[in-house]
Amino acid sequence: MGFLTTIGVFLAAAAGTLVLGLVLKWVDRKVTARVQWRVGPPWYQPMVDILKLMGKENLMPATARGTGFLLAPLIALVAAAVAAAVLWHALLWPHQTFVGDLIVLVYLLMIPALMTMLGAGASGNPHASVGASREMKLLLSYELPLLIALLVAIARTAGAGGGWSFRLGQLITAQQSSAPVAWSLSGVLALVIAILCTQAKLGQVPFDLAEAECEIMSGVYVEYSGPSLASWLMTRAMLAAALPLLLIAVFWGGLYRGAWWGYLTFAGKYLLLVVLVTLIRNTNPRLRIDQVMRFFWFRLTPVAAAALILAFWGITKGVSWL
Amino acid sequence: MALRMWALRKSLWVYHVNVGACNNCDIEVLELLTPRYDIERFGMILVGSPRHADVLAVTGVCTRQAMPRLQELYLQTAKPCVVMAIGSCALAQGIFTEAYHMGLPVDEAIRAVDPNAIILYVPGCPPKPEAMIDAAVKGMAYLKTLGKPAAKASGKA
Amino acid sequence: MTTVPTQEGITLTGFVGEVIKRLGRLVVDVQQCQPRRGIVRIDPDATVEVARQLLAMSGSRLATATGIEVRDGIDILYHWCFEPEGVVLTVKALAARPELAIDSIAPVVPAANWIEREMHDLLGAQFRNHPDMRRLILDDSWPQGVHPLRKDFDQVLDRPPLPSAPTDGGGPKEAGP
Repeated sequence: MGFLTTIGVFLAAAAGTLVLGLVLKWVDRKVTARVQWRVGPPWYQPMVDILKLMGKENLMPATARGTGFLLAPLIALVAAAVAAAVLWHALLWPHQTFVGDLIVLVYLLMIPALMTMLGAGASGNPHASVGASREMKLLLSYELPLLIALLVAIARTAGAGGGWSFRLGQLITAQQSSAPVAWSLSGVLALVIAILCTQAKLGQVPFDLAEAECEIMSGVYVEYSGPSLASWLMTRAMLAAALPLLLIAVFWGGLYRGAWWGYLTFAGKYLLLVVLVTLIRNTNPRLRIDQVMRFFWFRLTPVAAAALILAFWGITKGVSWL
Repeated sequence: MALRMWALRKSLWVYHVNVGACNNCDIEVLELLTPRYDIERFGMILVGSPRHADVLAVTGVCTRQAMPRLQELYLQTAKPCVVMAIGSCALAQGIFTEAYHMGLPVDEAIRAVDPNAIILYVPGCPPKPEAMIDAAVKGMAYLKTLGKPAAKASGKA
Repeated sequence: MTTVPTQEGITLTGFVGEVIKRLGRLVVDVQQCQPRRGIVRIDPDATVEVARQLLAMSGSRLATATGIEVRDGIDILYHWCFEPEGVVLTVKALAARPELAIDSIAPVVPAANWIEREMHDLLGAQFRNHPDMRRLILDDSWPQGVHPLRKDFDQVLDRPPLPSAPTDGGGPKEAGP
């Protein structure tokens, strides 16, 4: 593709993901409101929030480091946009992906969390420092089970005859030719683990202690206002739209473009994952940081390792449902 | 400008400040978020940091100790913003007006640092949540008039 | 048994009477001795001893302390309660003019630490040997030596000037778009 068309497609993907993310944010707020027997906000509410924030002052405290403080939300936004673009491209055109794009994706999806820590550290506020240290511990906790779960998917598709590959497109086409990764014991375990890690990556209850509103006055975002805060909210909206795409691509067969009902099943899977994240959010309290670390290190990681062992066993012994 | 004011009045984020209240008004402010009164249908949510806020919901008489801090908080809030003085203590210091430890009333304290501040008054002891919603809606209507091009923008620091 | 000086018509009976009799010669005057309420006046130099003895009794606790300005000085009232019996005993000690000083019981009863700081702030009562006499409830801009609960302090006319407002220059910088 030409350079300009590439830029154009990237901007279109970013804008589309942003709009989708804001709609999903409304779905989350509306479902939460209905679960609590309330009415909830109108459908355009998240977009109005962003618009309003764009119109406010952008204040920077005198103790903040200007460069880190102002650049962090922008870098996070760009990283989330690129990750979303890569995912859409992989889903729509699985035969045109590049080698190692899964690894690039893992790095890109980690950048918003790192930028959160950078921005919070540059804020010059003790609440933000507490939030940054919590975000760091959270990052150290959920990345490992997520990576092991991705390895399980790679092992399963290798066993299905596609050969070992880190290409997202390869994972999708292998699943579409044989069976989705989730249709196996190790795959189901890996999918559940990935959903819980997604909950943590999105900063949702029960793992939202970096931005704990009542506890540490919005933690990492305490000193942000105006367009910088809008940038953070847009990053989170884009991540919320992009992460279910990753889950479907890796574990659930991607988007089957061979028939008209493929699009419907894709939309159904997507909505199911989004509503699942919201329902987990509404039915659980916030965990402490030591509980979170214990949960991810001593409960999820062994389960993920067990799933990986089952997947390998399935490949070597030729048992398809493991 | 009109778009900015439209977006502002459709999504007012509230930060609650207690400058010396008996907590009765604070309890009534909390009730606004409960399913019965549900302020979120107007787009109003409670935020944890004054920098994220559009409305400073102030309860309590403004004591001498709290007065410079309330003024500093107002300066640290990103403009444009609205101050909501809740309860008869915030309006005119209620029954404590002749006590030794009083600062200025909330609106005089805010106007000392920003003469153009937009202040909403909610009388009551404590005011019912319906009164607070009424004040919020009237505030939104006032912001609508500010959005008209002929009106001068207020509250700009 | 030493006799305790009492006012007209008061007999020392019941639990309150027992406590007062145990205090013995430290008590200067007994003003009230009801089944659940007792008010006694003690020698101002004996506050620490009385506190020590009351604290040693089982079930006793310093509930609070109050101060009131009277013609002769500042009357400090310590309210001791005995929870198992549901009894409150008030011990009055006069901090006489012009020094308005009395021994602090905070080294013996840690609960009295803050309440004595409050009485010092608002009434100007001096507490000798107080471990930590700092300002407690008046704000930082309140001048020293002005005590708002004195009878000669007018609540409106004698108010010190208010603290100055923070200036906009010391606030955050506007940055970005």
